[in-house]
Amino acid sequence: MSAAAWVIATDEKYLVSLVEAGAALGSPPTVLVVGSPELAQAAVDAGAGQVAWIEPAAGTPAEAYTAAAVSLVSQAGPRLLLSSSAAAARTLLGAAAAALGAAVVTAAIKVELGGDTLVVHCNRLGGSVVEAFESTGPVAAVCQGYDAPPPGTAGASPEPAQAGEPGAFGIVEEQPAPGGGGLTEAERVVGFGRGVKVRADMALIEELAQAMDAAVGCTMPVADDYKWMSQYIGRSGLSIAPKLYLAVGIQGSPQHTEGIRDAKVVAAINSDPEAPIFRRATYGIVADLYEVLPELLTALKN
Amino acid sequence: MKVVALYKWARDPEAANVRAGGVVDWGNAKMVAGDDDHAVLEVAKALAEGGELVGLTLGDGDAAWALARGVEVAYSVPDAPFLADNAATAAIMAAAVKHIGGADVVVVGDAEQHPGVPAALAGLLGWPALLGVTSATAEGERLTAVRRVGDTIQTVWVDAPAVLSVAATGEEAKPPGMMQMLQARKKPVTQVSLAELGVDPKEGVASRGTRLPDVTGAKMLEGSPAQVAADLVAALRSDGVL
Repeated sequence: MSAAAWVIATDEKYLVSLVEAGAALGSPPTVLVVGSPELAQAAVDAGAGQVAWIEPAAGTPAEAYTAAAVSLVSQAGPRLLLSSSAAAARTLLGAAAAALGAAVVTAAIKVELGGDTLVVHCNRLGGSVVEAFESTGPVAAVCQGYDAPPPGTAGASPEPAQAGEPGAFGIVEEQPAPGGGGLTEAERVVGFGRGVKVRADMALIEELAQAMDAAVGCTMPVADDYKWMSQYIGRSGLSIAPKLYLAVGIQGSPQHTEGIRDAKVVAAINSDPEAPIFRRATYGIVADLYEVLPELLTALKN
Repeated sequence: MKVVALYKWARDPEAANVRAGGVVDWGNAKMVAGDDDHAVLEVAKALAEGGELVGLTLGDGDAAWALARGVEVAYSVPDAPFLADNAATAAIMAAAVKHIGGADVVVVGDAEQHPGVPAALAGLLGWPALLGVTSATAEGERLTAVRRVGDTIQTVWVDAPAVLSVAATGEEAKPPGMMQMLQARKKPVTQVSLAELGVDPKEGVASRGTRLPDVTGAKMLEGSPAQVAADLVAALRSDGVL
């Protein structure tokens, strides 16, 4: 078993933070890239110790190279395997973990090595607690990750690896996801949930958003059950990264908070002091939204 | 096509109580349907049309839940414990899938809280996987699924046998009624023990316990509605986000 860590990357999201996490084992990790030349370069820029690179053939998803990825990881026998929660990266991680006989933990936020014991800290219950797991064996961790700028000290150049014969996979088509009505690009977003009682009250949300120069979004039940909007913010919906997210009448289920993970400042208004949204928020107000919103409009005009 | 649908294999997160110092009291939390499980059944049913749909649950998961939703044959592993090591959970599932035998597809929830399980399950079965799909169809041995990858909607195929993990895009449209649940309770469930499966549920990690996160939530603004509104606007302006 080698002391170093390996990172499996199929897209750029959170890559710098994964390389940082892997470096906790003492040296920059090897990044196994299954993706474009640009992604391989991003791994170099993220500070990878080495970059093993497989470029998928056109029309072939990264998962088709599972066998090649498993073979590369098995030969190296790393102590720690990291990936983001992206579907393809996770698939490769799971296959490599099975080959290594590694434990699999998720929502990892920090890794430490003390002597021969690896400690992985993981968010639990949507982030209400952190659980530390220790192991003297190999561990594969699906990481939470965060946005971070590249360190500025680039690592080694990508080394093309044996891709082998791709598995029986193919991409039939790729279409742009329905536009988020400017939500994904907006600097400010007002999101609302089931705390808004009737559809007519959406006017209040829209008025507030206008005063803040913000876009309007909602939670899954508002779009799916009430059909008030066609799109929602959340794990299976839109992921947004505004400077400011104002959550109005939103409880804050993990499904929703996953979609606002990259928001910089989150302010939340909810009548339930125990609402999980307050754990994700920067500012919190426990109050009836119908009392606070008119006051907010007034304050914004001052 | 023979399809195995996995459901009710994780503890109810709603039953967890976080005590002072971050200790989690799980009480006697049961294995409940995860947020994605109803969508798992939908996809599994579509794939199994003209074939066989087998349901599989772990621990004290209630098989009637799936039997009322179109599952024809139900298996459970009643002595399967809840495990933090996703690979150990997946090992129980993989052994059960092999015990059931002849499966072409295993469908499982993409599981926000345990996202390593579907990946580890595919790894242990040695099958290809497509994770995070929202719908799927089968034609011969070919499975075609739709999923969201970043800003694109991707339609992708894989040949069976394969593992599909499903991410729900909404809540269950039409839960079964009381009659269907009552009828489901009368249907047989085949119970298989860990010993019969030859699985020793050993975890590759040990918990050092839980603690509260370093940042414990929001700065709470207090006062009259006018006061908190003014304070919030002032704070957001000073942060340069408004």
